[in-house]
Amino acid sequence: MKLARVGAALAAAAIVVSACGGSSGGNKVLTIGISFPLSGSSLASAGPARDGALLAIKDFTLAGYTIKTTIFDHAVNGSHDPQQGSKDMTTLVADPTVVGVVGPFNSSIAKVQIPISNEAGLLQCSPANTNPDLTKGDAGKQLRAKAPDKINYVRVATTDDIQGPAVATYGIKTLNLKSVAIIDDTETYGKGIADAFAAEWTKLGGTVVGREGAPKGTTDYTAILTKFAAAKPDAVFYGGVTSTGGGLVRKQMEQSGLTGLAYLGGDGIQDGNGSTDGGYISIAGAAAANSFSSVAAIHDIPGAADFAAKYKAEYKVDLGSYSASGYACAQIILQAIKTAAAKGDVTREAVRAAATDTATKFDTVLGPVSFDAVGDTSQKIISMYKVDMTAAGGKGDWIFDYQVDYK
Amino acid sequence: MTALPATSEAGARVPMGASLRPLLRLVIPALLVVGAYAFMGPEQFVNAMTRGAIYALIALGYTMVYGIIELINFAHGDMFMMGAFVSLTFLGQILGLTGSITEIAKLAPLLVAAFFISMIVMGAVGVTIERLAYKPLRAAPRLAPLITAIGVSFILQNIVMLKYGPYQTNSPKIFPSVDIVIGTAKIPALSLFIIVVAVVMMIALQLFIGRTRLGRAMRSTAADRDAAQLMGVNINRTIAITFLIGAALAGAAGVVNGLQYGVSRFDDGFQAGLKAFTAAVLGGIGNTVGAALGGFIIGFIEVGATVMGFSRWGPAIVFGTLVIVLVFRPSGLLGQQLGERA
Repeated sequence: MKLARVGAALAAAAIVVSACGGSSGGNKVLTIGISFPLSGSSLASAGPARDGALLAIKDFTLAGYTIKTTIFDHAVNGSHDPQQGSKDMTTLVADPTVVGVVGPFNSSIAKVQIPISNEAGLLQCSPANTNPDLTKGDAGKQLRAKAPDKINYVRVATTDDIQGPAVATYGIKTLNLKSVAIIDDTETYGKGIADAFAAEWTKLGGTVVGREGAPKGTTDYTAILTKFAAAKPDAVFYGGVTSTGGGLVRKQMEQSGLTGLAYLGGDGIQDGNGSTDGGYISIAGAAAANSFSSVAAIHDIPGAADFAAKYKAEYKVDLGSYSASGYACAQIILQAIKTAAAKGDVTREAVRAAATDTATKFDTVLGPVSFDAVGDTSQKIISMYKVDMTAAGGKGDWIFDYQVDYK
Repeated sequence: MTALPATSEAGARVPMGASLRPLLRLVIPALLVVGAYAFMGPEQFVNAMTRGAIYALIALGYTMVYGIIELINFAHGDMFMMGAFVSLTFLGQILGLTGSITEIAKLAPLLVAAFFISMIVMGAVGVTIERLAYKPLRAAPRLAPLITAIGVSFILQNIVMLKYGPYQTNSPKIFPSVDIVIGTAKIPALSLFIIVVAVVMMIALQLFIGRTRLGRAMRSTAADRDAAQLMGVNINRTIAITFLIGAALAGAAGVVNGLQYGVSRFDDGFQAGLKAFTAAVLGGIGNTVGAALGGFIIGFIEVGATVMGFSRWGPAIVFGTLVIVLVFRPSGLLGQQLGERA
C-alpha cells in the first residue's frame, strides 16, 4: 500500500529535478512520461509494456534534444487505482518538459486521465486500452469536453467492439460452442467487453443463458456459478482482469458443478504463465486447462525475430503480450517529436498535432499504424490464445493459436 | 456480553410480554428459513449458509470486543485474513500440500492441525495487539482506540503484503470436492463441513460465556467494569481472554475461507470485515447470538440478491438492509447486550 505511494513520490521528485534542469548541456530536455500499474499482480501484464517503451526510447537520439523518461506507478495495493492514476496525470501535465505519455494500461484509468491530458493538450498513447467509449461516440466526446477539436489520446490496441466479437467468433466457429454464461467485474473494461461479446454471440446464433456481475473484492462466486450450472452452458465468459476475479471464478467453477467447461476471456486474463505470481494460470492451477483468451494486438509482428532478440538481450526475458505495443507507442511519440523538430520547435502542442494527424502513417514494430479522427488505430488485429498445461515446464502457459485482421 | 434466556442468571429481570416473545422468536425465523429454502432451492440455500457461517465467525469477534470494551476493532477483519495466511503457510508452504486429500484418516488430522495452529497463532496475535495497542488507551477518549484500530489494520495488511506480495496467493484445497446428493441437488461436502464447524464453535462459545466462571467474568465486565473489578474479577485477564477468543474465531474463519475459495489476498480482510461488522450491527452489536444471526442473514441477502438477478447490487443491498434495520430498530434485530446497557 505504502510502497506505491513512495514510488510515486520518488517519481514526482525526479520530475521536479528534471524540471529544474530545463536544459542539459545546451540541449532542450524533453520528457516522456510512462503511466502504468507496476506493482503486484498488475506488473505481470503492464511491466512488459513499460519495458517495450523504455527500449524504444533508449535507442532514440535527436540532435539538440535530450530525451528523458519519468515512470509513474498507479497500482495501489497491487491493483490499478483510478485515484492514483488521475493524480499521476495531474503531476505529468504540470511538468512543462513532458511532451508525451505512454499509458495507461487499463480503460478505467484512461477514463480519468483523458480529461486531464486533454485539457493540457498532452499527447497520450495507450498500448492496451480497449474500451471503445474512450474515443468513440458521445462517451468519447464527453472525455474530450475541454478541448474537443484537439485529439490528444491515441491507442495502438484494437478496441473491444472488435475484441469481444472476435472471442465470440472463436467460441462459436473454432470451438463449436452453443451456449454461454457471462460474468463481468462491473468495471469499464470488463463490462464493456462482456457486452460486445454477448451481442456478437447472439448474432452468430449462440445463446446467452446467464449474465451476472460481481465487483472487485468479491471472493465468493458460488451463488452466481450455481445459477449458471442450472442453465447448463457450454462455456463461461469472463469480462475483466485476473486481479478483479478472473482466476477465482475459474477456480470456483469446480465446486459449483461446472468442472472442465470451456472458459473464455479477453486480454484481461492473459497475464503470464503458471509461475507468474498472481497470474491467471497460477491462480486457477490445474483448472486453467481449456481456457481461451485474446490479445487486442498483432501477434505475428513484422520482423518479430529481430525485435524479440533485442528485447531478450536487454531484459533477459521473452516478450510479454504488450511489449511490442509499448514499444510502438514510444515509437509513435518519438516520431511525432522528430516531425515537430523538423517543422520548428518541439512543443507539447506540436507533438500532439504531429501524432494525431490522420494522414500520417507511422512505421512501428507492429507494422504501419495510422490514427482515425478520434485517435483509434488503423490496425484491427486480434490474436487468440489457449492454455496448454504442458507448457512452461508443466505449469501451463498461453499458446498462440491464430490472429485475424478485422479491417 | 449476552446470555441466552435459558442460561441467564437467577433473578434476572423478566421483561413484559415474555410469554409471547419466545414463541414469536421461534416461529418467525423458522418461517423465514423455510421460505428461503423453498425460494432458493437446496444448492443456493447451502451457498448462503456457507457464506453466512464465515461472516458469522468473524462477526462474533467484533461483537465480543465491542461488548466488553466498547471498541469497534477495525483490525478484526485483518485477523481473519491473517488466519487464512497462517493456514496456507502451514498447509501449503510447510507441508507442501497442493491438491485434495481423499483419505479421511489423513485429512482429519490435517484439518484439526490447521484449525488448531491458526486459532492459536491468531489468538496470540489478538492478545498481543490488545496488550500493545488498546490497553494503554483504555482510559483515553473512545476515539483514540478506534483510530488505533484502523492503524493496526494497516499494519497487519502491510505485514502480509510485504511477506506474500500484493496479489492472490493459492491456498491448498485439501478438502476433496465430493458432493452429497439430495434428490436432484448436489451439495458439496465441504460446505456442510464449514457450516457444522461454525455452528459447533458458536454453540461452544455460548456455553463458555453462559456456563463457565470466565464467561461470567466476561459478562460482568461487560455489564459494569468497575463493579466487576470491585467484586474481584481480574479485568485485564478477562479482556485479554475476550480478544483471544475473538481472534481465534477469526483464525478459524480464515482456515475455512482458504479451504472454500483456495485463494487469499492481503486485503481480503477489508470487505469481509466490513460485512461481518455489518452483521454484528444488524444483530445488535455486543450480542453474540445477534452477531451469528446477522452473519447468516447477510449470507442470505447476498445469495438471495444473486438468485433474483441482482448480483451487481449485492453490496448495496446488504448495506441498504442495514440502514433500514437501524432506522426501525436502532439497537439491531436482537438488541444490544441484554438489558444492562442502552
